[in-house]
Amino acid sequence: MPSHKLLSLAEAVRRHTWDGMQYASGAALPVGSDAIAFGRELLRQKRRDLHAIFHCNTQQLNLLAGAGAASKAECGFSGLEVFGFANGLRRAVESGQLALEDYSNLAMAVRLLGGAMNWPFVPATVNIGSDIQDRSAFAPDDYPATRKIPTVTDPFSGREIGAFSPLQPDLAAIHVSLADPLGNAIMLGTEWSRFELSRAAKKVILIADAIVDTDCMRQFPNLVRIPDLIVEAVVYQPFAAWPQSSPGLYDVDETHMKFMNKALSTAEGTADYVRDYVDSYADLDGYLDLIGRANIEALSNSTTSFLLDPFRQWIKTPAEIAALTAEATA
Amino acid sequence: MSIDLPYSRQEMMAIATGRELKDGELAIFGVGLSMLAGYFAQAHHAPNIRAMTEGGVYGATPVGGLPWGIECNRISANATSFTSAIDALGCLVASGRCDVGIIGAAQVDKFGNVNTTGIWEGDIGDSYRLPKTRLTGAGGANDIACGAGRVVIMVTHEPKRFAEKVSYISSPGYLDGGNARDKFGFVGGGPSAIVTTLGILRPDPVSKEFILDAYYAFSSVEEILQATGWDLKVSPTVHVVPEPTPEELAALRRVDETGALRK
Repeated sequence: MPSHKLLSLAEAVRRHTWDGMQYASGAALPVGSDAIAFGRELLRQKRRDLHAIFHCNTQQLNLLAGAGAASKAECGFSGLEVFGFANGLRRAVESGQLALEDYSNLAMAVRLLGGAMNWPFVPATVNIGSDIQDRSAFAPDDYPATRKIPTVTDPFSGREIGAFSPLQPDLAAIHVSLADPLGNAIMLGTEWSRFELSRAAKKVILIADAIVDTDCMRQFPNLVRIPDLIVEAVVYQPFAAWPQSSPGLYDVDETHMKFMNKALSTAEGTADYVRDYVDSYADLDGYLDLIGRANIEALSNSTTSFLLDPFRQWIKTPAEIAALTAEATA
Repeated sequence: MSIDLPYSRQEMMAIATGRELKDGELAIFGVGLSMLAGYFAQAHHAPNIRAMTEGGVYGATPVGGLPWGIECNRISANATSFTSAIDALGCLVASGRCDVGIIGAAQVDKFGNVNTTGIWEGDIGDSYRLPKTRLTGAGGANDIACGAGRVVIMVTHEPKRFAEKVSYISSPGYLDGGNARDKFGFVGGGPSAIVTTLGILRPDPVSKEFILDAYYAFSSVEEILQATGWDLKVSPTVHVVPEPTPEELAALRRVDETGALRK
């Protein structure tokens, strides 16, 4: 067994992604924890034609869609909550460049659960009777849609319900607050559907804001909702969810959330954004410089900071992480 | 309408919505104004309301103003439990445990069906053509509309938002009216009120068509009829909604610290 699974972001994308893949992330919410840095790297490496499985849209899908890297998406919610409509995704849908298949939030969660359990289908007691069942962006001429949420009979009550298709994406890039070098992870804040996604995906890469010693996991094993045995690689990327928030670690960057969404509303703005905020940094230090050191300090001063207190003693320094990485590659 | 009102129309809508909630109920609030209305109720007349978000944030009260999202740090700073979507929307809503939900709408029709998915010119037709304007999709509102005991819909009162029939049903109200929901066996009862910036609509107990139940001190039956895109019926008992009390307004503004309802 390897002594650790740490991998750089660039290397993780190089090894584990390809054009046309079914890529899952965003099993968080549009303002909170998502592996947005992973999406930036997908763009840096020019991945195309992605089939995005995002329980909710986030700035990651907004960016991938706006930049034309995704051709299909399945979502429960496709806005940016109080930040408004997701302009990049919206532009891609309205132009027909991306087919967006709509579900609800519970539907996406139980479809991931179905994939995790390898069930043939998941009984649907929601989404039935609405246009979510009748309209399919993946089969636009099939109306009412027959393959999206087909009607089935409950064998016990005899009543008609729906059947959801389970999800088993090729890869899940999952944002976590804390991971140890082996891939045990703790998520602070609501985990949304990251538990189900971690079991449904064929391969899991963790994108962690901080790396902790395994002793931390031994102290809080009940909080380790993603265990190392299902994890392929761990990427250390502070502020991985920026400009979104990570409870306990940093607040949402309101200014950049608005700036980014405005940029994504046009092709020109998106090209500028990709030039300035995607292709512009060379390494982790460059990424943090881009966010701004003073900005990082302000965002880290969160009313939720106390949530991190029990774990601080095990957090590894960047130097310790670098040494660990060097040791294994030596 | 008066510019001299000591409160905004949005605040009146939030307070009227909050009054729909009772102390002790298990309640779920959508993002944005729904959350302010819900937490206003908790701050004012329903201190023991059991509030949750669809992300599975329990026991929390927002700090620092309207949360940017249902998982925002503003509602993660004093929670007693964080779980998951499947727990909140599934175990607590789809199960039938949730008493009441509050959802928003881009468009609503006379049977309380909600569209938050897109705007099309005319009927979509047999082929699912591209929307003129893509909206946010259903989110958890479909799940709340199917599963919560009753649902309160909050919406700005404008003709384009009040359609005879929505072009896309994102979250079911009473579908075609009457007992149309029965076919799908939803555990939830459907919308009990549409609370708007001009008044309150409630469903006819048999036809389930929404009719005008009440108007505000600053609005009128006439203004509401003109702002509704269908031939709105008026209840024989139509009445004026009591204005916000100073206590209500103070409680709402404590929750709405950043003044989202006054912008």
